[in-house]
Amino acid sequence: MPVREGTYGLLAEFDTPGELVRAAKAAYGSGWRRLDCYTPYPLEEAAEAIGFHRDEVSLVCLLGGLLGLAAMYGLETWISVWGYPLNIGGRPYYSWVAFMIPAYEWTILYAGLSAAFGMLAMCGLPSLYHPLFNAPNFRNGATNDKFFLCLEADDPKFVLDEARKFLEDQSPVSVVEVEY
Amino acid sequence: MAHHANTLPHELDAPAFVDAWRTRALITGAIASVLGIAMGFLAHDDWEHFFRSWLLGFIICFGFCIGGMAMLMVQYLSGGKWGLLIRRSLEAMTRTLPLVFLMFLPVGIFGASLKKLYIWARYPNTEDALRHHLINAEQAHAIAFKKPMLNVVSFWWVSLLCFAIWAVYTFFLNRWSLQRDADTAPNVPYWQTKFENISGFGVLLYSILLTAGAIYWVMSLDPTWYSTVYGLQFLVGQGYGVLALVILTLIGLSKAEPMKTVFRITEQHDLGKLCFAFTMLNIYLAFAAFLIIWSGNSPEEIPWFLDRIRGGWGVIATLDVMFHWLLPFTLLLSRDLKRIKSRLKVVCYIMIFARCWDMFWLIEPNFADARRNLHMSIGILEYCVVPVALIAFWMAYYFTQLKQRPLVATNDPHLAEILEPEHAHA
Repeated sequence: MPVREGTYGLLAEFDTPGELVRAAKAAYGSGWRRLDCYTPYPLEEAAEAIGFHRDEVSLVCLLGGLLGLAAMYGLETWISVWGYPLNIGGRPYYSWVAFMIPAYEWTILYAGLSAAFGMLAMCGLPSLYHPLFNAPNFRNGATNDKFFLCLEADDPKFVLDEARKFLEDQSPVSVVEVEY
Repeated sequence: MAHHANTLPHELDAPAFVDAWRTRALITGAIASVLGIAMGFLAHDDWEHFFRSWLLGFIICFGFCIGGMAMLMVQYLSGGKWGLLIRRSLEAMTRTLPLVFLMFLPVGIFGASLKKLYIWARYPNTEDALRHHLINAEQAHAIAFKKPMLNVVSFWWVSLLCFAIWAVYTFFLNRWSLQRDADTAPNVPYWQTKFENISGFGVLLYSILLTAGAIYWVMSLDPTWYSTVYGLQFLVGQGYGVLALVILTLIGLSKAEPMKTVFRITEQHDLGKLCFAFTMLNIYLAFAAFLIIWSGNSPEEIPWFLDRIRGGWGVIATLDVMFHWLLPFTLLLSRDLKRIKSRLKVVCYIMIFARCWDMFWLIEPNFADARRNLHMSIGILEYCVVPVALIAFWMAYYFTQLKQRPLVATNDPHLAEILEPEHAHA
């Protein structure tokens, strides 16, 4: 894979979440689509401001749960009816009442694991490298007390000078250019 | 930084349209009463089904009233914004206790004293009844063995004691709430402690009294059967019904001030999540009881379920699971649904309907003519109107009580929090 070179994007730093959300709204409103917000803690408004309304984790979680349910219920049915049928106190081989509990447990287990791993996969994790860590202020502040808005260079609107001017108009603490 | 904080509306009283709700409830109640009484005459069953369906209606209204009291105490103990929002609605539910007591009287007078409902009241002399084949040997044994508990005098004493204690609680919980609002803000910790003290013991007392009530009024319809989780199932069922009703109330009220400002999507979402928890807890208890009795397969316990599954009752039982759990569960999984008022409302209606459906499944198969034999009769139709009449009249009284006080309790530190804009930027 060829090494990517050039500008990854322009990174603006803000002191408060309110300023970040305002700037993000302005950027989205004026047509930016390849952009992202970085905050030290979850900030729903920031996600909403850049048009990120829903994620697919809940769908993965649901599918995982249904898979777990089907897997365990199928396993129990196969064991009890075809694989190793046993007469337990004269109850029917296919005893759905007794199958419910393990099937329920597997639903929870699979749903939980799919949600966790699905979330990691959709975030592109694990990832060994991200260009933003080239910016020193990002390294120091993004997990601490700073709020960042990044306009990415692969946005069709991206022209370096105009992007910089746009960000500076949002009165950030700083605007830095980030290399790949 | 609480910029753009909302201001508390000046008008905190219930909006005028609550009167229209009450009128609607009264009309519904009147129509259902006329139909119910007409069916009572037409049924030619000596008013048997009338009182069975009356019992159903009473248990549902009782659940709203006393379940509301329990929820009121729980929110004092847990604290939280959700509690402040629903406090006045819950207080209004508790103040319907006089009406609920009036609804109980026919159950006590006709059901127990005049022996219309309870088999143990009808045949206290078990040997005679057995000889005349009015009851079977198991019933005779159970009625004779449980006589110290299942007799008309104990029934009245226990019921009256329950209502008396609940009346005392209703009185103080309501009185102190007004006094607290009239007091100054620095005194809030004093009131919080006071409410916590009455509520902590109150929740315990409520569980014991509710168990007694559930056993005497519903479980004893079939004296041969017992389940230790029965009271707890009623407790969870009451929480389930009360939450649905309180959400419907808040959504209805939020068309106008003050709830328009105060009832935010965040808290609506929270209440929806709480509904979801109760939906799970409810099926957990119901299924656990079923699983244990199914596994045990003991002739003392299993007939109770067979009475409610065989002879057509399996359809009612399956639909009960769907209304009570499958529908609310799958719908409430959705985050959007909990945040959209019109959709959450539908789920709450389903939940209240499910309570009634479940109570039908619990009550009707206790009787010899109906167990393992679900069949259509005018008596069954009475279940569609008599409870409607009772619930409608209860609603009318609830709306009257709702108008008695401002809808928002103001002397509470959470008030500032619910006035903040949603997702306040730190």
